[in-house]
Amino acid sequence: MLVQFYNVSKLYKNGVKALNDVSLKIDRGEFIFLMGPSGAGKSTLVKMLFREETPTQGQIFVASRSIVRMKRSEVPQLRRSMGVVFQDFKLLENKTVAENIAFAMKVVGAKEKDIGARTAEVIKMVGLKGKENSFPGQLSGGEQQRVGIARAIVNRPLLLIADEPSGNLDMDTALEIMDLLYDINRKGTTIVMATHARELVKTAGKRVITLEAGRVLSDVSGTEFR
Amino acid sequence: MMKIKNLVYFLKEALTSLARNQLLSIATVSTMTICILFLGVAVLMTVNAGSFMNRLESDIEIVAYLDSSISGTQITNIQDKIAAISGVKEVVFVTKTEALASMQKKFAEKDYNLEKTLGKNPLPDSFAVKAENPQEVAQVAQSVKEIPGVNKVNYGQGIVERLFQVTKWVRIISIGFVVILAIGAVFLIATAIRLAIFARRKEIYLMKLIGATDWFIRWPFFIEGILLGMAGAFISISLLAVGYGSLVSNLQTTLFFIPLVYQEDILINLYVSLLATGALLGVLGTYISLNRFLDV
Repeated sequence: MLVQFYNVSKLYKNGVKALNDVSLKIDRGEFIFLMGPSGAGKSTLVKMLFREETPTQGQIFVASRSIVRMKRSEVPQLRRSMGVVFQDFKLLENKTVAENIAFAMKVVGAKEKDIGARTAEVIKMVGLKGKENSFPGQLSGGEQQRVGIARAIVNRPLLLIADEPSGNLDMDTALEIMDLLYDINRKGTTIVMATHARELVKTAGKRVITLEAGRVLSDVSGTEFR
Repeated sequence: MMKIKNLVYFLKEALTSLARNQLLSIATVSTMTICILFLGVAVLMTVNAGSFMNRLESDIEIVAYLDSSISGTQITNIQDKIAAISGVKEVVFVTKTEALASMQKKFAEKDYNLEKTLGKNPLPDSFAVKAENPQEVAQVAQSVKEIPGVNKVNYGQGIVERLFQVTKWVRIISIGFVVILAIGAVFLIATAIRLAIFARRKEIYLMKLIGATDWFIRWPFFIEGILLGMAGAFISISLLAVGYGSLVSNLQTTLFFIPLVYQEDILINLYVSLLATGALLGVLGTYISLNRFLDV
């Protein structure tokens, strides 16, 4: 078991109840879609995985460790076991493709000689060979998201969290990105992907958790999702 | 806390950021310069006020007039007794002739002879006594007065007490002024640095999510803050050194009775302290501004 949520609720200071008594389990190696309308609590749930938010009630375990009781100084270690992919890519505009990816390794104190080799390996894996020295502004949206994904997996995370990764992309590009994510999942990385894109989810045949008004509305395997 | 391996990376990051955010760097350095300039002027004023007050206080002298019948060995006796009083720094015997000569010099024109006009020297022999600590003048004077053969003691009773009141308040107010200015400088600088950090909030957020420790993120900003602080301090110190130097050389020739502090070692100490203050303000301002962005 990689992630466990036990009766998790989140009440924001402004009175919004984003999550309401959510319990769920995620196994190692799973690929999970997180669906639901805007304001259903997807973002809050995703942010709790990497502890940007903590629940006001309930418990969350990641790799058997409570991240609610976790000390502030232990959070970096937790996050190093995860990778995050964003809808808006969040690439550093003044760094090249290779530098953006290497950045994630530098920040966690990786050795210089490992950084070069691993960065090249990941660039090849996401299909950006030849674009190492381009800047994000010179790339298409799909290519930028590939950089985002490369950066998220470069530290070999247990869990990859993708928050609307195809939200800014056209359908063809989105499908390419999905193929890349499936590929990463097949190699053993657990993936949680929040999305609005029903079309992508329907054809995927993966587990789908649907949230509505902060509650789990349904939790079904892909073939049952309509 | 900081590995040597990382130091190079931190330095590089700090310098890159300085080069990349030139406009913000210039704004921060300008703020620093102005703050430290004000601080430096305030400190110089405090130092000068202090030295002026010290001088006023150390000028205080007890004059012990002797009975006119006293002479010879009795004088030496009295001198020894005064010297033995605790808190006495120095005792100088002033003959009536010397006293008159000094008065002649102070009050009269050269061609106007006091002794001839008065018919005789009316002044007694006296001792000029200095106390080690100006605050103890009254006590010392009392002890001197009790020695047989001493007729009268004068140390500016009343005026001295008031002078101490004034010097005490001048010191308190000028130090308070420096402290308030320093606090103001910290906030002004924190605001300037916040702008620079705000421009890089996305990067900080990313680093946090990737799993960088707070210190790993802080160091480049601290180094940047130190460099900006020292740059600002360096400019203001140069301005101060030139400005104060010319003030001193001007006043020494025209208004020589205003005693400005110009000793090189004191000024160098002051300038080095201001440089350190610049670095400290840079770190403090960065620390205050940065913490909000680290809370992810």
